[in-house]
Amino acid sequence: MTVTTGIMVGGIYALVALGWVLIYKCSGVLNLAMGELTLIGAYVSLSFYSMGMPFLLALLCSLIIGLVLGILTERIFLDKLIGEPVLTVIMVTVGLSFFFKGTVEFIWGTDTRVFTPPVFSIEPIHIGQIVIGQVYLWSFVAAIILLIIFVCFFKYTRWGLAMQATADDEMAALSLGVSARFVYAAAWAIAFMAAGVGGTLLGNINGLNISVGYLGLLVLPAVVLGGLNSVPGAIVGGITIGVLQNLCGAYLDRYFPGGVKEVAPFAFMAIFLLFKPHGLWGWERIERV
Amino acid sequence: MSNEEMILKINNIEVKYHEVILVIKGVSIEIPKGAIVALLGANGAGKSTTLKAISGLLRHEDGEVTDGSIEFMGQRIDKTGAEKIAKMGIVQVIEGRRVFEHLTVEQNLKVGAHMRKYGRSIKDGLDMVYHYFPRLKEKRNETAGFISGGEQQMTVVGRALMTSPKLILLDEPSMGLAPLLIHEIFNIIQKLNQDEEISILLVEQNAKLALNVAPYAYVMENGRIVMDDTAEKLRENPDIKDFYLGLTDVGGRKSFRDVKHYKRRKRWLT
Repeated sequence: MTVTTGIMVGGIYALVALGWVLIYKCSGVLNLAMGELTLIGAYVSLSFYSMGMPFLLALLCSLIIGLVLGILTERIFLDKLIGEPVLTVIMVTVGLSFFFKGTVEFIWGTDTRVFTPPVFSIEPIHIGQIVIGQVYLWSFVAAIILLIIFVCFFKYTRWGLAMQATADDEMAALSLGVSARFVYAAAWAIAFMAAGVGGTLLGNINGLNISVGYLGLLVLPAVVLGGLNSVPGAIVGGITIGVLQNLCGAYLDRYFPGGVKEVAPFAFMAIFLLFKPHGLWGWERIERV
Repeated sequence: MSNEEMILKINNIEVKYHEVILVIKGVSIEIPKGAIVALLGANGAGKSTTLKAISGLLRHEDGEVTDGSIEFMGQRIDKTGAEKIAKMGIVQVIEGRRVFEHLTVEQNLKVGAHMRKYGRSIKDGLDMVYHYFPRLKEKRNETAGFISGGEQQMTVVGRALMTSPKLILLDEPSMGLAPLLIHEIFNIIQKLNQDEEISILLVEQNAKLALNVAPYAYVMENGRIVMDDTAEKLRENPDIKDFYLGLTDVGGRKSFRDVKHYKRRKRWLT
């Protein structure tokens, strides 16, 4: 029971992790503003939903806005930094995260808001002995669908290949006529969209306030676990972290009251990295002999 | 070579990095349509920078063409972006076999076909590359980071070919490869030039090799073109022999005392 819930929540982590991996894969940038992207996506769809739109349409609108915002972010803040050291760009994402957070607080305030009326019925679904909340199930399904889309995108489309190529060697990709600007813009747009879906789903579970943004940090162990640039790794990592969190919450909280649930993933990440420094499927630097 | 049609004309360009460091001081090069032209010179002479100036990659490293002009088929390109130049048909093969390590050989080639929009022509392109580099066909599904150096070089050249270029800028294809492989690759380059009518600007440190494939060559030093002539004449030139070909009398035993680098100034330098 705890495990299943973990898997389902993990699905949401996986979604956000996906966006994260995508940006890293294309540009080598650790996007520390990921949590805020989640926030924005969630709030946007909440607003549309509150205006009386059907949920799916609201989600779609938030996807579109995510797309636009992603491209804008890239164009305004990051475009000038193409070719600059990666660390600079990472610091810019830290700045962006504060900026986004401020903007969100400014527009939507800091109170917890909920999707009213609830999108998913509270009635849980029974699968054999296991009881699952509908929200969790749908989140999981959404994550799996997006995973399949992403994997296919990277493997079979020319833009997917171009994005991977840019990640590998920006200069060489540029010499072949791959537009680095387009690749980065696309990466940010997709990340924004994935984060939006993740945020929306999470907002459906617990209601929405600024703290949803911490998801961005929580996703970090998931991403590292999977290996920073592996799409399937992000999914598996996300689910692992979800399960781990729930198990810790259920069994360890009695002995270490407080925030074991939040700390455990990071502890696990640290230990895991001792044994597999590249994560599960991360790119090892290829060294020819 | 003034009457032939030129595919590329570089007219007295000057290149600066970071707005202060002057690395190229007046370079003019002309490449006739369908020709192989070599650009020789020692380390740091500015050969690679010249190539990057043509392909537009220069701006990516915070460099800039500050004077002179570059014309490709009659159009000025010295202020054009790299992508656009690539679309016009110039592709640079960057020095050092920069394959996309984590992609397979075939995926590497497909990235080269990025600008072709239709599945059909990608397949044609692949067939053509595999025709010239049969070895790549065997390795098509292997990760490019793990194949041998020669195969990587082939991948990189093949990838450039996939863009269906009109002019290839080849930067030191022989670097760090076994002589036999170099031979193979240069043969293919020559074949490409003849069969596909692609013009080639070849940058090499290995002057002997370059003069074998390229009928015409420029010699660069310290950011300047110091000499340009046909390959035969350059091969006969005593300075070239000494400094680049490393032989004074063919076949004869060579005494290094005779070379006397310290005494014999490169007299074309001012």
